[in-house]
Amino acid sequence: MTMSGTPDPPAGDAIAVSDAAASPQTPSGSWQLLMGLHPEATKYPARANIEGESIVIFRTRAGFRGVQRSCPHMQATMMNAELVANDTMIRCPLHVFTFRLSDGKGVNCPGFRVRIYEVKEESGALYGRTAN
Amino acid sequence: MSAGTGSTVVLKGAHVIDPGQGIDTVTDVEIGSGRIARVGSGSVPAGAEVIDLAGAYLSPGWIDIHVHAYGTLGFAEPDAVGVYQGVTTFVDAGGPGIGVLDQFMELMSDLKTSLYAGAFIRPMGLLGLNFIEGNVRTLGDVPVTRWIDFAAQHRDMLRYIKCNAIGDYGPGTLKLTKGLAQILELPLYMHIGEFQMQNPKHLLAPEAFRIAEAGDMITHLYHGNLGRVIDGDGKVLPVVRDAERRGVILDLGFGGYNFSWDVAEKAFAEGLVPHTISSDLQQFNVVRPVKSLANVMNAMIRLGMNLSDVIARVTTNPARALSLTDRAGSLKIGQPADITVFRVESGEFEIGDCHSQVRKADKQIVPLRTFKRGEPFAVDMARGQDESNWFLQIAEDHIPAAAQRLSGRQREYLGSLAASLSKVDWELSSAERLDIDKALELQDIFHKLRVKQGLPLKDALRAVYACFLDQAFTMQIGLLLLRLERPFALRRLCDVAGAKIMAA
Repeated sequence: MTMSGTPDPPAGDAIAVSDAAASPQTPSGSWQLLMGLHPEATKYPARANIEGESIVIFRTRAGFRGVQRSCPHMQATMMNAELVANDTMIRCPLHVFTFRLSDGKGVNCPGFRVRIYEVKEESGALYGRTAN
Repeated sequence: MSAGTGSTVVLKGAHVIDPGQGIDTVTDVEIGSGRIARVGSGSVPAGAEVIDLAGAYLSPGWIDIHVHAYGTLGFAEPDAVGVYQGVTTFVDAGGPGIGVLDQFMELMSDLKTSLYAGAFIRPMGLLGLNFIEGNVRTLGDVPVTRWIDFAAQHRDMLRYIKCNAIGDYGPGTLKLTKGLAQILELPLYMHIGEFQMQNPKHLLAPEAFRIAEAGDMITHLYHGNLGRVIDGDGKVLPVVRDAERRGVILDLGFGGYNFSWDVAEKAFAEGLVPHTISSDLQQFNVVRPVKSLANVMNAMIRLGMNLSDVIARVTTNPARALSLTDRAGSLKIGQPADITVFRVESGEFEIGDCHSQVRKADKQIVPLRTFKRGEPFAVDMARGQDESNWFLQIAEDHIPAAAQRLSGRQREYLGSLAASLSKVDWELSSAERLDIDKALELQDIFHKLRVKQGLPLKDALRAVYACFLDQAFTMQIGLLLLRLERPFALRRLCDVAGAKIMAA
């Protein structure tokens, strides 16, 4: 929906709103080959290792994405997590804690967050790096 | 046709089970003007609607002594796990504390299912963050005078005072809560079982059994976490037996963490049986493993409890435990016509516990229809499972449709709220660090402004919810604000405050 009209200034003092906290996360780290994974031949979700850490790779409608291996709530394996919300979120089946694949933020579980990994396909291989 | 509007309905030929009255036979039940008019065969009054229930069972409406309807664990439509699942009365187990009971009262007054408060010792109620539920500091203050005043005004709403017997801070909180319950002349209701990620040096579960008196309740009887009711050999702890003998009420409280087949089977074999069967339904367990009170009842059937004893534990027994026998848990003549109709199916079924252990069952109870004060409801088990009922997410990329329907006064209020909140910093940095004082501060700002502007509490709550929530979830307003990113929250409040009113 859209809200029509120009917003009136709210009552009281002028409100300063900083956008700093809302700025998107920037990827960090260099691309690393995800050993043993093939874009087509591998069944997803699949386990992988990056920077010495075990992670889980999902194939979404928007491409591949990696998340930390276990849910930060009760440490259930993310191999059993399901993609939801048009593949933009991931949901742990144990207690339906749901996280955004864009930045790892807990959607229905404030204060919880998962590490997210960018994954790219190149020359028949997958490469990953930390996203958040 | 609604029996609640003064009409007469005869429910014919069901197997009626009313343990409190010793009824366990095929007979008829007549509803008149929303109350039980007759149990037993007899002539059908002229003009009465007759519903043939041959082959089905009928009992007093089920009572779930432990759900989470309100707050951070609650549902967008609590009735979806109430009358639409065969439950006519439920108690919110700790959703509201004294700091938000006013919000609870305003928001929960329109339910079809009778809802009572099992108020929490912590002023904000349950926080919904396991890591800090056991932190003694989040108790804040316990304003005894405020509790007394609230209880004097809303005696009927309060059914017990709840605390969690968890964490590593000794039994002081349990005693403190017991003291408050004694002052208010209410039962004490205690959660036992450490959350799985915590490992305290001294377990509080045994303390809970020591402190509880006759009529006090202990929930999560068959949990499989630290602080179990059985020892390593599967024997029931003496402290649990002592409490049972003293008249302490043992409650099942299945929940998302609190039922283990292994513990249940061993304890049941030892004769340790819950007096009340409750679900602990909430956002995070309705999909699995709890699903419904019926599913929890089926777990007890699977353990070996007979049907009549199961029904007693969701009717007669909770009505007594909650002092609701004047209005619930029985088919006595003149009682409100709260009725659950169900069938018992035979086949192959699976019931999972909270540790991914599954047992096969050959019988299951399936609720079919509910009458609440005579008003009929068709059971719809999928309704509670629908994502819109339990998936609470902030509408970050759009303004919820409900914002269109806000009044000018509500918008004016939102603008002022944004201005006031802009002078305060807040941040929810992690699940382990929730600044409860900050949540109370934000809530205080919310209240002071609405009082100043003469805006009724419900209107103010609905205005803020409409800025951020697509579904009709309720939440302690201080906790809702705290979980929002501050710049986003201020911007959204301003956006909605400034938008023109569109046709509803």
